[in-house]
Amino acid sequence: MTVLWIVLAGFIVACALGVVLSRSPISSALSLLVGFIGVAILYLALKAEFVAAVQVLVYAGGILVLYIFGIMLTDNEALRLTRQVQFQAWPVFILVLVLFLWMGHKLYRAEYVAQPQARIMMVATDAQADAAKAALAAQAAARSGSNTQQIASVLYGDFLYPFEAASVLLLVAALGAVFLAKKEV
Amino acid sequence: MSTAALVILGFILFCLGLFGVMARRNFIVILLSIELMFAAAGINFIAFSGLWRNLTGQVFTIFLIAVAAGEAAIGLGLLIALYRLKHTANVDEAHELRG
Repeated sequence: MTVLWIVLAGFIVACALGVVLSRSPISSALSLLVGFIGVAILYLALKAEFVAAVQVLVYAGGILVLYIFGIMLTDNEALRLTRQVQFQAWPVFILVLVLFLWMGHKLYRAEYVAQPQARIMMVATDAQADAAKAALAAQAAARSGSNTQQIASVLYGDFLYPFEAASVLLLVAALGAVFLAKKEV
Repeated sequence: MSTAALVILGFILFCLGLFGVMARRNFIVILLSIELMFAAAGINFIAFSGLWRNLTGQVFTIFLIAVAAGEAAIGLGLLIALYRLKHTANVDEAHELRG
């Protein structure tokens, strides 16, 4: 089982290396596509089935197609023939390596403790304690059912207003993209 | 996979994306590297969602995918604008504001 995890993680990292290091943008995009499918498999293995499906549908099916459109609209020979990794690549590599080693050391030494829900809430009065218990009971009730059902109850319950804000964000982004890309008025 | 291993995997992806953003000169590859950093954040959200048995992380990953879609749309708008102005996707060509 551990071998499968290592193979999956290595596959994702190899795809990410392909994105960063490959010469032509189209192979970068296809490498990212395959890497995102690997990430979706990782989500599936971590029991996040709905997010895995959204990852494949939206990322691999939508966003990457948009990028490939962008490559087809702009790709020119001169850029493909220039060296893609330029003179500042080595300083950047050293900088990122230092960040990686320093933060990686800290992250590897960190301990990740599973926290029970009740300890996160701040309880001051009895009424708040009752409310916290009721919230816990509601969460336990919501936890029954499939992963998609549970996500729906959280997304349309606690996160209804952020959900609406995200829809406004997407609308504004679409309008902004049209405005940026259109010809002179 | 333990949470520590997932966090390290996310950090490796983030560092690769950071390297891509700073070292590459093609605008599209810079955007793809930003997507790598988004994927790193998503892996972290899912990892801690599993650790704390709390679905908030998974819901935030869905929001993150929505933000990534908006970023892709805006990025491609910028790309088309840059290409119309300079006839290249090379970000080094856009140096009018260099001091």
